[in-house]
Amino acid sequence: MPPHPPAIPPEAEIASTGGFNAYVGPLYRLPDDGETKRFAFKIEDKHMNGSGSVHGGMLMSFADVAMSRTSRLVTGAKGVSTVALNCDFVGPGKLGEVVEARVRVTRTARTMVFLSSELVVGERVLLVATGLWKIAGEPA
Amino acid sequence: MSGAPQDYRETHLVDPFERHIGPVYERGEAPHKTFALVVDKRHVNMRDIIHGGMLMTFADAALGQAVWDVTDRAPSVTLNMQSQFLKPAKEGDLIEVTPQLMRKTKSLVFMRGDFQVRGETVFAVTSVWKLLGR
Repeated sequence: MPPHPPAIPPEAEIASTGGFNAYVGPLYRLPDDGETKRFAFKIEDKHMNGSGSVHGGMLMSFADVAMSRTSRLVTGAKGVSTVALNCDFVGPGKLGEVVEARVRVTRTARTMVFLSSELVVGERVLLVATGLWKIAGEPA
Repeated sequence: MSGAPQDYRETHLVDPFERHIGPVYERGEAPHKTFALVVDKRHVNMRDIIHGGMLMTFADAALGQAVWDVTDRAPSVTLNMQSQFLKPAKEGDLIEVTPQLMRKTKSLVFMRGDFQVRGETVFAVTSVWKLLGR
């Protein structure tokens, strides 16, 4: 795994252009690492819970964005919908840390995409997720 | 934001991220409260459908309030959440959930919730919570 970026790297692209993504963002796409698609955001005051850690809802939102975007990238689909998402909250993230999502495709079928992801700060795992996406416009 | 829906009062939210995406509303008394969210333009994606992250955040907030209500406000954290996205909800929709306690042990709470728009379930969640220090 590459070293944990202390800040969002300059080669990152904005991945949150409107709606909810922009309201909770900014969220970034990082350069791919082989088959792994990478995304990042920096934990700000608005992302926190009352116990001094990043809120689980923000981590699940970020995982959903990263995995949805990956579904579109690997299928070329214009739109995809999250069907199911399973998240394990492994450890806390702190204010100012850069959280990276590392997303892998398990299988691409005709209408569905199976994905897994890890949200990490350096070597420390915050959340692991698996989920199922439907390619929009295709019957389920 | 135009105030609470009929029969609802605003839920007191503590977490900055929940305050960022709120308000959330509630009616009834602990431990059988119903929680509600009015979908507004901050909550939707580019297709004007509520964002999955917003649904999961509302679920974590509502089920977390319910966990509080059944544990005398013990500090807790979400260990796991499983979400099923059944149907889209749109801007202006009122989403309601009455969290159900499945089991409470010394250190764990098992919760579930069916999130409904006009009586139809659009989103379903199960979550496991750890009571800190137990």
